[in-house]
Amino acid sequence: MDLYIPEKLKWLQQQQMVSPEFLQILGSGGREELKRVESYLGNTNDELQSFRHFPEFGPDYNVIDGCISRTSSFQMEPVKNDEVNRAISFQNKRKPEGKTEKREKKKIKTEAETETSMKGKSNMSNTETSSEIQKPDYIHVRARRGEATDRHSLAERARREKISKKMKCLQDIVPGCTKVTGKAGMLDEIINYVQSLQQQVEFLSMKLSVLNPELEFHINELSTKQAYFADLPEAVSKQSVMADLQSFPLHQQGSLDYSVINSSQTTSLGIKDQTSASWETHSQSLYNSLRTDSVSNFFSLK
Amino acid sequence: MERKTINKRKRVFSLQPNKNPKAVFARRYASHLVPALNKINMNKPTSKKDHKSFEQTVKHEVGMALALSAQEFAWGRFLQHKLLSPTHEDPSYSSKILERSDYKQEGEEEEAEIKKRLKELQKLLPGGEEMNMDEMLSEIGSYIVCLELQMIVLKSLVQDNSS
Repeated sequence: MDLYIPEKLKWLQQQQMVSPEFLQILGSGGREELKRVESYLGNTNDELQSFRHFPEFGPDYNVIDGCISRTSSFQMEPVKNDEVNRAISFQNKRKPEGKTEKREKKKIKTEAETETSMKGKSNMSNTETSSEIQKPDYIHVRARRGEATDRHSLAERARREKISKKMKCLQDIVPGCTKVTGKAGMLDEIINYVQSLQQQVEFLSMKLSVLNPELEFHINELSTKQAYFADLPEAVSKQSVMADLQSFPLHQQGSLDYSVINSSQTTSLGIKDQTSASWETHSQSLYNSLRTDSVSNFFSLK
Repeated sequence: MERKTINKRKRVFSLQPNKNPKAVFARRYASHLVPALNKINMNKPTSKKDHKSFEQTVKHEVGMALALSAQEFAWGRFLQHKLLSPTHEDPSYSSKILERSDYKQEGEEEEAEIKKRLKELQKLLPGGEEMNMDEMLSEIGSYIVCLELQMIVLKSLVQDNSS
C-alpha cells in the first residue's frame, strides 16, 4: 500500500487539479487518510486489499483529465478517481465545519461518485454529462444529470463498482470469459467453469480410488515435473498471472512447508523408507524446478 | 505496457522462490494428499473392500488436502470444518430463487438475473453462503486457481500410477 500513495500524489499533481496545500495536507496525513478510505470501502481483509488495489497500479494515468469522455473504455481510472475523491471528502471532514459545508461536501462527494459510475458498458444509457468545477481545491469532477444523489444510491453504486472490479479480475482467471459481455453472461461462464472443475476433481478422485488398492503411491519425480511444465503455463497463459498473484496473500511462508512435509513423513504410519526418500527428493526437485522454470514462465507473459 | 511495469514491480515479490503462491499451494497439496493416500492403502488390506466407502474416503482425503493447503482463504477453512465435522449433507438443494413478479422493469430484470447467478455461485463455493457478495467474489478467484492446481496434481498422480 505504501507503494502507491506517492504514486497517487504524483498523479494528483500531474493533473493539477489539486492545490499544493491540499497535497501537503494529504501528504502528511495521507497514509492515515487513505487507510481510512480503505476501511470505509470495507477492506479489512488482507486478501481483499491486495485484490482491490491491483488494478490501480501503474503510472499510466495519462488518460485522466477533467473531461473523461463517456466513450472512454479505460475503465480503471474512474475508480482511482473515486478513491482519491473519497480521501478528499474524508480529509475535508476533519476541518471544523458547519452544516452548509457538510452539505457541500456531500454534494462534491456525490459528484465524484457520479463520475465514477461511468463505465464502458453500453447498457447504461445516461444523458450527456456536464463538467462542473467546484472550488479550486477540490477534484475536478463531472456530474451526471438525472442521477440520484441520495445516500443509498451512492452506497449502491460504490458496491456495484467493487463488484464489477472483481468481475474483471475473475474474467482473467476464467478462460473464455473475454468474449462474453455483461455480468450475467460472465457469471454464467464462471459458474460453468467452477462446476466443471469440481466434476473433474470428482472424476479424478474416483480414478484414484480405483488405482489406489493396487499401487503404492509415490510421485514420480520426472513426470510430475513435466506435468507442471505442461500444465502450469496453460493455466497461467491466460494472462491470469497477476490476478492470481494478487489473489494470494503475499505473506506466505514457504519455509514452513518443509516442516509440514517432514512432519507428515514422520507421522504417517508405515511409510516405507523408499517412499519417504523419493518423496523428499521429489519435493526438493519440485521446489527447484518450480523456482526456476515456471516462475520464468510467469514473467514471459505480457 | 502497463502490465510490463506491473510485472517489473511485482517481480520484487515473485522472485523469491518460496513465495510463488501456485508452487507453494501445489507442493502443500501434494504433501498432504500422498501420505494420506498411502495411509489409506496401508489400512485397507485389513478392512473389507467396500468400494463405495473407499471412494468416499478418497474423496474425503482429496477434500482435506485441498482445505489444508488453502488455509489462507476463508473457503479453505470452511471446507476443513465441514469435512471434519460429519454432517449429513442435504442432497436436494432447494434453490430458492427469488423471482420478482411481472412488474419488474428492464433494469430490475437484469439485476434479478445477476442476483440469481450470484446465489448459484455462492452455493458452489464452500462457505459461500455465509459470505457477503464482495468477499465471495474474491474467494471465488482463489478457489478457481486452487482447483486448477489440484487438477494438475491429481492428474499427475493418476498418470504416474496407472501404468
